[in-house]
Amino acid sequence: MKKNILAVCGIALILAILINGTQVQSVSEYYLTHIDDLTPESERVTISIRCDAIFPHYDELDPALRSEEFLPPDGVILPPTEYRLREGDTVFDILNRAVRQNHIQMEFQGAEESPFGSVYIKGIHYLYEFSCGPLSGWVYRVDGAFPHYGCSRYTLRDGQVIEWLYTCDLGQDAGAKWIGGREN
Amino acid sequence: MDRRSGKLKAFGSYHPTVLMIYFLSILLIAAFLSNPVLQTEALLGGILFCATLQRRGDGLRDLGFYLPLFLMVAVTNPIFSHNGVTPLFFLNGNPVTLEAVFYGIALAVTVIGVLLWCKCYSRIMTEDKFLYLFGRAAPKLSLTLSMALRFIPVFLRQSRRVSRAQKAMGLYAGKSIPDRVKNRLRVMTAMISWSLEHAMETSASMKARGYGNKGRTNFSLFRFRASDGALLAVLLLLLAVSAVGAAVGVTAFSYYPKVSVIPLSPDALTVYAAFGILSLLPSIIEGKEAVVWRFYRSRI
Repeated sequence: MKKNILAVCGIALILAILINGTQVQSVSEYYLTHIDDLTPESERVTISIRCDAIFPHYDELDPALRSEEFLPPDGVILPPTEYRLREGDTVFDILNRAVRQNHIQMEFQGAEESPFGSVYIKGIHYLYEFSCGPLSGWVYRVDGAFPHYGCSRYTLRDGQVIEWLYTCDLGQDAGAKWIGGREN
Repeated sequence: MDRRSGKLKAFGSYHPTVLMIYFLSILLIAAFLSNPVLQTEALLGGILFCATLQRRGDGLRDLGFYLPLFLMVAVTNPIFSHNGVTPLFFLNGNPVTLEAVFYGIALAVTVIGVLLWCKCYSRIMTEDKFLYLFGRAAPKLSLTLSMALRFIPVFLRQSRRVSRAQKAMGLYAGKSIPDRVKNRLRVMTAMISWSLEHAMETSASMKARGYGNKGRTNFSLFRFRASDGALLAVLLLLLAVSAVGAAVGVTAFSYYPKVSVIPLSPDALTVYAAFGILSLLPSIIEGKEAVVWRFYRSRI
């Protein structure tokens, strides 16, 4: 009997730790973000999300996604929008704030689960990695350059421009040259 | 015991070639087509066929295994897959969506349907039938495969024996949970060495009997009768209708990002009907035999 109680307590403890590490939010709570006031002296960055690289590869796109609801006709999911830069904000923080404020669906893999020690963006606006061919997925560009590390390790400075681009061939159509061994 | 039950059954008395083609086609369609109607049909066919193959008590015990499995698969999917247009709530910043819940349920239906069909397969396609089919062409591979396929049932039977023996010796006979877990672990360690030894002994014994040599006959002989040909023709026709329909895409269905409408065109309905009959075929044959048997007994 004593052993039973011990076993139940042990399992309860593990469950408590698991539940404690989980954050549950309702839909309205998740999208409830107060807009930062942009004052003339505040530091700011610009973010945009585009998927126009899909159009040349339209025949490879998952048939379930072939509608205007999921693929905007102009390829723009989020036009360039300014966000206020808080201390220590990374590209991921700004993206997370932008998708919440604009009610855009996003799925990511947390930094602790990723072998690269950074958050990995699996999908934005129902467009996932591999949704348009085996080399497709999301890449990001800051001030025209492709960083060689994950988006939650890139700390931003005032005035930088972030672009999230959907690629169908490992970033080459977006202008990244890392496949050829040269950096741009 | 397995062998006898496999032979006494009406469906199990058909030629191994027909049975093999049947099980392969059902399993492939059930595992790879993601259409809720087809998945449900495969599950229902599996449940009915399993019910005819075993006693009622076994069915109830199975329920204790398959229901938790169903819930586990259905709940696990939305925790790890966040695609879908209808968020229910957010977990650590990722959405838990209605579509993922639906997909989880569909996945659970598929997994359990396939498991049930595999169970029926192991009841019907006994080792002698498997070796009859493939023993001549690829003796080593087919022996390995047949040993692998019957590994789990044999393992379970033997582990029950070991556990009973340990209990009789008074080891870990306590009723508390940790005692029972310890007992399981002890049995498990014994079973691992036993299964390795058993595999070696089986292959050695097969070799000693001249398995794989030229000119050896099979343990069981099967004749391809007219009824086998008839069943094979029906089965191939139904399979062709289902496979062509699925390949053309009349039953196409997707869960992400939005659950699509179940296709109900005449073509799709034909495919549903064909696959429905295909998956109910063994149960129909068993049912017919049972009715005939009743009728004959009533005449005595």
